[in-house]
Amino acid sequence: MASTQPSKLLSTLFEHIDEEARITVLHIGPALPETVEFFSRYRCKLHFVDLFGELPILAEEDVPLSLEKQFAELLQFPPGTYFDITLFWDLFNYMSSDAITAFLMTLRPYLRPGSLAHGFAVHNLRNPPSERIYGISDLDALNIRPRSASLPGYAPHTQSRLKTLLSCFQFDRSVLLSDSRLELLLSAKL
Amino acid sequence: MIGPSIVIKGTVSGDEDLVIQGKVEGTIDLHDNEVSVGQTGKVSADISAKVVKVDGEVSGDITGTEKVVISKSGNVHGNIVAPRVTLEDGAIFKGSIDMDPGETASSKVSLAAQKPANTPSSSDSAPGFDLKSG
Repeated sequence: MASTQPSKLLSTLFEHIDEEARITVLHIGPALPETVEFFSRYRCKLHFVDLFGELPILAEEDVPLSLEKQFAELLQFPPGTYFDITLFWDLFNYMSSDAITAFLMTLRPYLRPGSLAHGFAVHNLRNPPSERIYGISDLDALNIRPRSASLPGYAPHTQSRLKTLLSCFQFDRSVLLSDSRLELLLSAKL
Repeated sequence: MIGPSIVIKGTVSGDEDLVIQGKVEGTIDLHDNEVSVGQTGKVSADISAKVVKVDGEVSGDITGTEKVVISKSGNVHGNIVAPRVTLEDGAIFKGSIDMDPGETASSKVSLAAQKPANTPSSSDSAPGFDLKSG
């Protein structure tokens, strides 16, 4: 059963986008009807990459740079692609430090100054996994659907650790949610 | 209509609507018409049409000059270019969606063709993709 979660930061992603602007969006997760419907008001190109379906993303033994190679295969975009908005959701709660580093190394060439990102972290490492699929229903609301199966590899990072790992982003704002998770607004720091 | 037991390899083109319940590999170009991929349809081809509706499986890029609809039983792996795209609940989609509610895909093509190659304003300036899509 889907439910709605209010968002205080999501609208910030779109504050400086006028109707004539053309935006490019990376959505980490499955394509949902409401998300496509939401973006249909914009001139946009949406790239859906469901990295959650690839979890756990682990380094292979005896394979140098295996994480980088895995992400290079998963994140293939046309030359000249730059993301104005990246929607991570709670991806980093399911990735090791090494995997996050490799992921960002792959993503960085597709960012540019002014690129914004949105995601969730935990306020307390003892927070249970949220097990949700996110869609956008409006500028201030997310659609939440329960996952049919638990994702492997839940190992959240503290906010300070994430700040270190997400080296090509700066944390612009964070909001503590009622379930003790953090909603994050990031901007590219290149 | 291409029936469930029919397999076509090559280019499908024409001036009438098409329902695909069989298999098509290659290219489908029905620029002013509607293409429907039925529940038993399996298409490994780029599709270009006015309206594209997918109830079956498509592996390839889809250009709809009016709209593209992926129904709840649809499964698309490829890139979509259309002014309007509808994904129904349960649809499976992997790829990118290029939408522009303000203009049709056909007019976008002509604009892209007029734009100088080094114009930096577009954030997705993949040459091959933009020429097809606009």
